[in-house]
Amino acid sequence: MTMTDTIDGGASPTGRPAAAAVELVKTYGTGDATVQALDGVTLEFAAGRFTAVMGPSGSGKSTLMHCMAGLDTPTAGRAFIGDAEIGSLDDKALTQLRRDKVGFIFQAFNLVPTLTARENITLPVDLAGGKVDEDWLRQVTDQLRITERLGHRPSEMSGGQQQRVACARALVTRPDLIFADEPTGNLDSNSSTEVLEFLRRSVTEFGQSIVMVTHDARGAAFADRVVFLADGRLVDELEDPTPDAILEKMKKLGG
Amino acid sequence: MLRLTLKGLLAHKLRVALTALAIVLGVTFVTGTLVLTDTLNNTFTTLFSKIYSNVDFEVRGVAAFADQQGAGAVRQPISDTLLPKVAAVPGVAASEGLVGGYAQFVDKHGKAITTGGAPTLGTTFGDKPELSALHPVSGHGPTGPTEVAMDEGTAKKYHFAVGDRVKVLLPGPPETFTISGIVRFGSADNLGGATLAAFTLPTAQKLFHVEGRVDTIEVATASGADKAAVERDIAKILPKGVEVVSAQKVADEQSSAINDALGFFSTALLVFALISLFVGGFTILNTFSITVGQRTRELALLRIVGASRGQVFRSVMLEALVIGLLASLVGLGLGVAMAVGLEALLKAFGISLPEGALIFAPRTVVVGLVVGVGVTVVSAVSPARRAVRIAPIAALQGVQAGTEGNSLRRTVVGAGFGLLGAAALTIGLTAPQISLVGLGAFLIFIGVGMLSPLVARPMSSVLGRPLARLRGVPGRLGRQNSMRSPRRTAQTAAALMVGLALVSTIAVFGASLSKSATSSVSDAIAADYIVMASSQGGPPSGFSASATQTAAGLPGVAVASPIYAGQAKIAKSVTFIGGIAPKDVGSTVTLRMDQGDGPAALAAGDLLVDTTTATRDKLHVGQRLPVTFAETGPTTLRIGGIFKPNIILGSYLVSRTTFIRHFAESTLPIVLLIKTSSPATPAMTTELTKGLASYPNLTVQTRAEYEKTQEAQVNQLLGLVYALLALAIVVALIGIVNTLMLSVFERTREIGLLRAVGMSRRQVRTMIRSEAVILSVFGAVIGIVVGTGLGIALVTSLKEQGFTDLVVPWGNMIVFLVLAGLLGLIAASWPARRAAKLNILEAIATE
Repeated sequence: MTMTDTIDGGASPTGRPAAAAVELVKTYGTGDATVQALDGVTLEFAAGRFTAVMGPSGSGKSTLMHCMAGLDTPTAGRAFIGDAEIGSLDDKALTQLRRDKVGFIFQAFNLVPTLTARENITLPVDLAGGKVDEDWLRQVTDQLRITERLGHRPSEMSGGQQQRVACARALVTRPDLIFADEPTGNLDSNSSTEVLEFLRRSVTEFGQSIVMVTHDARGAAFADRVVFLADGRLVDELEDPTPDAILEKMKKLGG
Repeated sequence: MLRLTLKGLLAHKLRVALTALAIVLGVTFVTGTLVLTDTLNNTFTTLFSKIYSNVDFEVRGVAAFADQQGAGAVRQPISDTLLPKVAAVPGVAASEGLVGGYAQFVDKHGKAITTGGAPTLGTTFGDKPELSALHPVSGHGPTGPTEVAMDEGTAKKYHFAVGDRVKVLLPGPPETFTISGIVRFGSADNLGGATLAAFTLPTAQKLFHVEGRVDTIEVATASGADKAAVERDIAKILPKGVEVVSAQKVADEQSSAINDALGFFSTALLVFALISLFVGGFTILNTFSITVGQRTRELALLRIVGASRGQVFRSVMLEALVIGLLASLVGLGLGVAMAVGLEALLKAFGISLPEGALIFAPRTVVVGLVVGVGVTVVSAVSPARRAVRIAPIAALQGVQAGTEGNSLRRTVVGAGFGLLGAAALTIGLTAPQISLVGLGAFLIFIGVGMLSPLVARPMSSVLGRPLARLRGVPGRLGRQNSMRSPRRTAQTAAALMVGLALVSTIAVFGASLSKSATSSVSDAIAADYIVMASSQGGPPSGFSASATQTAAGLPGVAVASPIYAGQAKIAKSVTFIGGIAPKDVGSTVTLRMDQGDGPAALAAGDLLVDTTTATRDKLHVGQRLPVTFAETGPTTLRIGGIFKPNIILGSYLVSRTTFIRHFAESTLPIVLLIKTSSPATPAMTTELTKGLASYPNLTVQTRAEYEKTQEAQVNQLLGLVYALLALAIVVALIGIVNTLMLSVFERTREIGLLRAVGMSRRQVRTMIRSEAVILSVFGAVIGIVVGTGLGIALVTSLKEQGFTDLVVPWGNMIVFLVLAGLLGLIAASWPARRAAKLNILEAIATE
């Protein structure tokens, strides 16, 4: 199945994409060892929607996320968060962007071991020297069922609880966009479901925009839209996916 | 296993370099000290044998006694009627008499030429050039009573030439001479900074009050003569109390006197080198502990694939051995460079040293290697033992590095060390036995080092609180990082602790010494003015006795009382004995008697001793002490009283009459105390200074000024000690840099995560810096507490030795604390920069 390189962001409640990539290229290494991780990707992530990025190993899905989140610099092309073009920002501005406009959830090692759960959650606000919105914090932690554990340190919590704390941290600043990189990769299926359900709910109930990189079809099915990458190129997409439909597509990609 | 270790070392070049640096500095200092003192030893030995190269024998008085070191014996002059008799002995080709004494040049601006501690020598210029060690480089030797020959060093430095007139300060009134020639001393333009004024023999005899006598007769034998026979023949004609010795023996005696002094200098420097090595040991221990912790998985994996416990132990020890060896070799090289630099520095300070080859003795190599490798290997034993205890299963578990808690065993052992140290210290201080004191301090440091993890967490928490408040999240994270591993925090801080403990000990010691000195000045001296020869920080030197008469004749002077000092053998030890006029006690000197009536006893010809000596030697009033004087031989003196220690009088005191009876006429006063008819005023000071202008080497000080001088001397000494301790502090800082680097490396992922969620680079730097400041202030606090304790113990134990006041300089301590914090900031700058530069993506991806 062939796709145009430009994909419509789909119905967006605000009509404005939360993030966008234009002709994004990323190569690693030089000479014979050159690896083309991204080969001209152009796409938009709609605001207020839950988008999953899928693809076989080495398809460039993590690289895409890193470049769009400002953690990595693309070799060519442009990436936007809201109106800000990431390539034009210096380290200070990028830091500020990550702190205020973007939330992150990683696969593992999401929390600072010396800080309590609450301190971990409010870290981005504290780093900015801002004031924590206590009502919002309460609402999020209640949703995640971690309010009782806010005084604990990561080492005193289960993996699922730790990941829910990470979710709360990503949400606390009400960022324009949350990037989640295989957030359930290290969790058992019960914990996974809990995290995924929360992500889904935060899109539906709070209007949060989320981009999630995953290789798990069941997890991707929680999204509004799935985009497929292969060999550094955007190759397909699905609206309102079901696990079966996703598996079908993946099979075609040889994943 | 060997290859694995070496590969590991290569992979961590930076860490190895930093760890080694802690040892390099210590070894450099050890090597530098040894090379420098060996070199100086050798050059002086060569110099003296050159001076005596033309002479075969010396005829001289038998030593009445030798001083404490056994060298530099005090001898009586011999009659110059021996001169023709010695010359007539068959086989004697040439002989001449020598006389020496105090003679100090005055420069063209009327200022006395001082030497910074080296003697200002007057001597004879023999008329037999084949015997003399002095060689004119221009002009000729002195030929009459108005001529003097000057050493080339002084002539060059102060621009004197043949034919110039020069004033010379002498035991008697100063006189002016014409320079007949400029001479070299052996092959050098001067002798270790000493100045030299050479007169004809009759002139010298008159100037140094030894008419009819000479100090020594130098003898050269005819070529082909049987030297042993000549020596026997000379010995036959000598009266009792006169001996003939080979020139080689004289040269050896003189160089050994200098070598003894150098030996003291060398020991003092080596002590500081060892301190820095000890501090370096803490750094090694800490680095190895951290790396063993970080390599837990790797070491466990080695165990799984079949490495034995012994192999793991040996691999860690081998790593230490290699690092120690590398560090020692580099240190040896740098040490030689340091010796060269120090020699140049001495020369820059005007201490002219004879040229000589650099001596790099095999002993230096052995000591440098043994000490450097030894400290490294010993310090690595405990981490290696910990590595051995790692269970193979640890390879499969996620082990968080550096979170081990406090063990009971450690606490017990640490407390044991501390108590043992305290015991050794107590015994050492009361004995008194300096090496026991050192051992005690050493054990206490180890004990405190082992115990400090107990307080590391709460103290870091307290110390970090203001930082957390001031610097927000980064400060809070820094604080929590420093609390994370109490053991690591404590070990890192321990190095700084030792340095600051010593600094604080010295601070307490110095402040107390300073205060005791000044309060003892007002306790000891009633005079309004203290007149002394300026010695530029060297030991007080004597001055012309005639200055007393000059001073006494000045208007406004009520009493001018000179204090004499000379060496005598009292009971079994050679010591200084002072002489003062009994009538001046009270008006110029305050003598607080413990027992007996001071002035009356002095007037009766009795000996007074101070309480320190009386307590030490269990002396009592009425006891008769055997005393041997160089001039008059053995006698006994009755103890007529016991006085409280007096800063200006020393331990033994007799009346001036008794003193003059037993000492040579050329013995010089060392202090002149002046009581004026009205209290000291600036006008009076000017009057006195003007009146004594013909003695330009004298400085006139009011009592207040003298107190300040005493204080300044103490502070100068303290400054020197602080400078030497700075070496240990630098080593401790390297330790902090090392720990922080390892911590940054260990927390790469965490820092990456923090950056990802919005921590700015500046905030990362603040976080690392906060941790460093907490670490160093923690070390400083413990160090200051321990050091203040040691200082108090030291000063208290020295109460009898004149430490009357105990002063803890709190202001200084606060300065030390602030400085420690600043040093922590400096130590953090590199690790902080590295942490801030971490690539976020790579950091997060780190396993």
